[in-house]
Amino acid sequence: MASLVLKKLGGMALTLVAMSLVIFMLVELIPGDAAQRILGQSATPEAVASLREAMGLDDPALARYARWAGGVLRGDLGESAYMRGVRIADIFWRRVGASITLAAASFLIFVPLSIVFGVLAGIRAGKLSDSIISFFGLATMALPEFVSGILLMALFSVRLKLLPIASMIPMGESLWQNLEILVLPALSVTFVMFGYVSRMQRSAMIGVMKSDYVRAAVLKGLPRRRVIFRHALKNALLPTVTVIGMNMGWLFGGLIVVETLFGYPGLGSLTLSAVKTLDLPLIEACVLFITAVYVISTTATDLLYGFLNPRIRFSGGAYE
Amino acid sequence: MNKLGYALRRNPAAAVGLVALAAWVVLALVGPSVLRFSHTAMDMESQLSAPGLNGHALGTDALGRDILSRIVYGSRSILSVALLTSLFSSVAGVALGFSAGYFGGKIDAAFMRFLDILMAIPPLVLSMVVLGALGDSSVGALTLIVSIAYTPATARVARSALLSCKSLEYVDAARLRGESHAYIMFVEILPNAIGPILVEVTARFAYSIMMIASLGFLGVGLQPPTPDWGMMVIENKTVIREAPWAVLYPSLAIASLVIAVSLISDFLAKALIHDE
Amino acid sequence: MTNKPLLSVRNLGVRFPSPDGEVVAVRDLSFDLGRRETLGVIGESGCGKSTLSYAIMDYLSAGARRSGAVLFKGQDLLLKSEREMREIRGNRIAMVYQNPYSALNPSLTIGEQLDEVSRAHRNLGKDEAREASLTTLRELSLGDPEGVARRYPHQISGGIQQRVCIAMALLCRPDIMILDEPTTALDVTTEAVILDIVAGLKERYDMSMIYISHDIGIVNKVSDRVAVMYRGEIVEHGPQERIYERPEHPYTRALINCMPRAGVKKELTALNTIPGYVKRRSADEEGCPFAERCVKRSPGCEDDYGLAELEPGHFAACGRAYADERPWTREAEAAARATGAVPEIAGAEVREATSDENGPEPLLSLRGVGKFYRNQKKTVRALDGVDFELFKDDVLGVVGESGCGKSTAGHVIAGLAAADRGAILFDGGEIAGSWQRRDRRALREVQLIFQNPGRSLNPSFSVQAILERPLKKLLGVKDPAERRRRAVEMLRKVDLGEEYLSRRPRRLSGGEKQRVALARAFLSSPKLLVCDEATSALDVSVQASVLNLLNELQAESGASYLFISHDLNVVNYVSDHVLVMYLGRVCEYGRRDEVVTPPYHPYTEALLSAAPEVDPARRDKPIRLKGSPPDPTRPIRGCPFAGRCHKKIGPICDETPPPRLALSATHHIYCHLPPEGLQGAVRL
Repeated sequence: MASLVLKKLGGMALTLVAMSLVIFMLVELIPGDAAQRILGQSATPEAVASLREAMGLDDPALARYARWAGGVLRGDLGESAYMRGVRIADIFWRRVGASITLAAASFLIFVPLSIVFGVLAGIRAGKLSDSIISFFGLATMALPEFVSGILLMALFSVRLKLLPIASMIPMGESLWQNLEILVLPALSVTFVMFGYVSRMQRSAMIGVMKSDYVRAAVLKGLPRRRVIFRHALKNALLPTVTVIGMNMGWLFGGLIVVETLFGYPGLGSLTLSAVKTLDLPLIEACVLFITAVYVISTTATDLLYGFLNPRIRFSGGAYE
Repeated sequence: MNKLGYALRRNPAAAVGLVALAAWVVLALVGPSVLRFSHTAMDMESQLSAPGLNGHALGTDALGRDILSRIVYGSRSILSVALLTSLFSSVAGVALGFSAGYFGGKIDAAFMRFLDILMAIPPLVLSMVVLGALGDSSVGALTLIVSIAYTPATARVARSALLSCKSLEYVDAARLRGESHAYIMFVEILPNAIGPILVEVTARFAYSIMMIASLGFLGVGLQPPTPDWGMMVIENKTVIREAPWAVLYPSLAIASLVIAVSLISDFLAKALIHDE
Repeated sequence: MTNKPLLSVRNLGVRFPSPDGEVVAVRDLSFDLGRRETLGVIGESGCGKSTLSYAIMDYLSAGARRSGAVLFKGQDLLLKSEREMREIRGNRIAMVYQNPYSALNPSLTIGEQLDEVSRAHRNLGKDEAREASLTTLRELSLGDPEGVARRYPHQISGGIQQRVCIAMALLCRPDIMILDEPTTALDVTTEAVILDIVAGLKERYDMSMIYISHDIGIVNKVSDRVAVMYRGEIVEHGPQERIYERPEHPYTRALINCMPRAGVKKELTALNTIPGYVKRRSADEEGCPFAERCVKRSPGCEDDYGLAELEPGHFAACGRAYADERPWTREAEAAARATGAVPEIAGAEVREATSDENGPEPLLSLRGVGKFYRNQKKTVRALDGVDFELFKDDVLGVVGESGCGKSTAGHVIAGLAAADRGAILFDGGEIAGSWQRRDRRALREVQLIFQNPGRSLNPSFSVQAILERPLKKLLGVKDPAERRRRAVEMLRKVDLGEEYLSRRPRRLSGGEKQRVALARAFLSSPKLLVCDEATSALDVSVQASVLNLLNELQAESGASYLFISHDLNVVNYVSDHVLVMYLGRVCEYGRRDEVVTPPYHPYTEALLSAAPEVDPARRDKPIRLKGSPPDPTRPIRGCPFAGRCHKKIGPICDETPPPRLALSATHHIYCHLPPEGLQGAVRL
């Protein structure tokens, strides 16, 4: 088990390095001259040249990658190209914190909800309650985050006037003083994830309920509660753990849309504005973070799965 | 076919989806020729007019443009781009996933590793960054980028569909007949792996619609004057209090289309995969 | 039979909905089960055996409709609520299943899965329940029950898993235990151990059993009475010896006669077959379910049909078919069978023994062939220095348990996998290892028949496409009309008509599929046909007809067969020579009669002893192997069988590879024992 953990962590580190290279190359491929773009079309060639010099743009790509990667490792994400003189690290982590709060809020809503309803639909497969849950799951999964966000906004903000339309934090206040602004963005993310996870949970549950060992448990005369919670659920949760972990990256991708819709000051809206202003260092930082979330949560899921599944935890020869 | 008919009768939701999708296709094809207003004409007399007023069945936006016309025109672009991306990414995914899965071993391991890395960047983020950086969101660029962003996922599906057939003995029998790799992959295996791939194409169609709408919403999708449902939502978000119809109708258009396609995809999954 | 029945099934019917209308799985079925009685239920797949057991347990899918009554101690189980059934299931009636691995929950320890039964039904506390579990495991002579209880199912071997399942069923001392093919997923030596346990259970635990199996040999071993099921009905039931020795229903008799048994060899007789196959039964079908396939069918059959007591305790649904043979003696029947003169064996013809006295010519020789599968650090030695020869116009049977390398040998010879070591000589020259490097001639002359015909025929192709492709690819027949003509000709040879050309495999029965696979193989006039468990997936009646067809095709074409099978009776029937393998090595090789009679390799002796004997009269003192084959990744210095051998001499067996010991010009074994030590009872 210990060697498995080390192996997974090693693989994760390698993937992260490869990721950073891919991202760096992706940004490299963006056409046009970065210095020219910053200074605008009217800048003199001399000004552009001196800025290139200052930014180190004339160095070979590999040297620039090494400089960037080295900085990232030290926690230095570089300087924003659009907001001159602003260190990215100074604005970045506050935005990340806001996004993680939002992600955690929706995580806390969708994980229990989708597991409970998925299991319910699974054990009542084919009945009316299953049809309702399944259709609701399909519909929420099919809606892009901004559509469910708009629908929620129209209902709760415009019609019922319960919650704010925009999720801005007033100057001088912190997120914690304005928790109500979290509700609608978190629900919008929850919608999509609920559909996805509850459908997965349902089919896992149906598969397990059809298995020979659940049949054996029923025919042992065990109470239904025990069959479902001890025999079926323990196995049916395994694929769900994987699905949730694998989709943490997706969740962060979805945040871009939700934060833009509600004007929530998180990583997603920062990424969009970086793209709109072609702020290359900021794009690199944002995309690297989002992919790191994916890679780390995938690895964590793998390990958790291995720990929960005795077939992996105790993989060895058969006992005679 | 008989089986499909039997399954369709037992699954009325899929029939509803089929009808809704057909309605959208018909609307996209013939709608523009019967519409009263142009999708770009700005009616200065009736900005933000409510549905039904001044002949605007679904109302107008802040610039006085007819919402219905814009939705109908928007359906053309979104349907065609989504169809193309789902086809392109499926074809590319089948080619890549089949090759990797078929040859197996180191090639496959390296390929899967590469896919893992590509999949770490969420498709929406990838498309947004590339389209935004390119500054080009023409139909061609959009189709290409979204297809590329989705190819890793379709390749995975195609690979596992192939793997479920690869170990079957008819493949061994073909090898012992001296058949070529291409023959085995595409003549022997493909017809038997087509179920999950068809399901993937339809699911990918739904995802593409969501993606294109989301990109439009983020402002890096199809550019004006082409009307885009996602863009209609963000453009009119500021007037949601005064004119909720201007954001609600495009949102409902997206919802109805994606749900319709998802119902069909769901049905195909049941009919083609689980019941075998 | 004098005691009041414990379980009385009355006119039980089960129907399932399907797209093509309602299907009848069990129809108008009645039987009684007395105290301390074992009822064996036999029948081919699709005859409703399992449905019957789940109907008794009230565990059928939601759409199923049941009728009739299942009276357990006088109470009708069909009328009980789910809650009431819970008190019965696992407590008064317990079940043991075909596949122990999938019947155990992978995420719970063995101990927890055992304990919960006592806790649910006997209200025992945690420690008492564990104590009860350990006691029961100990009673089934399982060493280290504590160790087993701590483990998860994947950590114990199949034989122990099935013992755990039996222990689980015994925990509440049930009145009835239902065993549904409990040994089908196990190897033959493990199966023998489980059967020994099962045979002693009802006396020890004072209970009744229902034992379901497709194998009459197994049912004979454990049952007092036998019921024969066909298409959802019991067509005959009665005392076990009577059913075996004096079957009255044509189906029972045909079923028993189509199994290859001891003493039945291809030179003597073709196997009896039953035309057609088991079809699903629709709700509106009436009358005798077997009429369509019956050799004794006569006008008026349909009217005179129904279970009747022909003699006390012996019921059959058809009393006419063999009425003229009464009175009947066992000796007459046995004599008739041995000479192949049993009148109802249709088309039986006596084949002459293949004469290979004057120096047979080898077609295939394996020289020190090794095949290793490496994953990460471990290496599985699937074949480890295998030598043998296969002669022209000869059938070499290869037997051994799973993991012995017999299938790998077949694959290496057929070219699916290249050997890592050694050489394969074929028809005078060495042939390339893998299909990629074999030329068209080699691909044409070595053909492979797979175990599962459903998987070896591409479901997307028609029979015509399946047959014509090798004609084009391997024989270069360019003219489509010529291809079609040859395909039809070949179909006729495997007893299928031209109308099969347009069908897809989905619309063929298992036997028809295997016939098409045989046609495909013989189209290229092979010199060597490798049959990898070619009849194992088929029902016995279909197996018999495919075996007969294989014999006919061989006689006609002069091809040699490498016939790989786990079933000794089948190998004994079809082979001229036999090769016994264990853990990737050869144990014994020789002419068939030399291998199946003493002197034996100890492993051959154990295998023969474990084979379920169809004829209940031929029982003798059994040899039972302990444990299961060792981990194939562990390197072996001495004899691979040393760890389980009942004749082990001492350290020499573990340390030194056994020498090749020639017992005759055509027979050798690998063993340290001198020939005198290799004697044993005649077993086959």
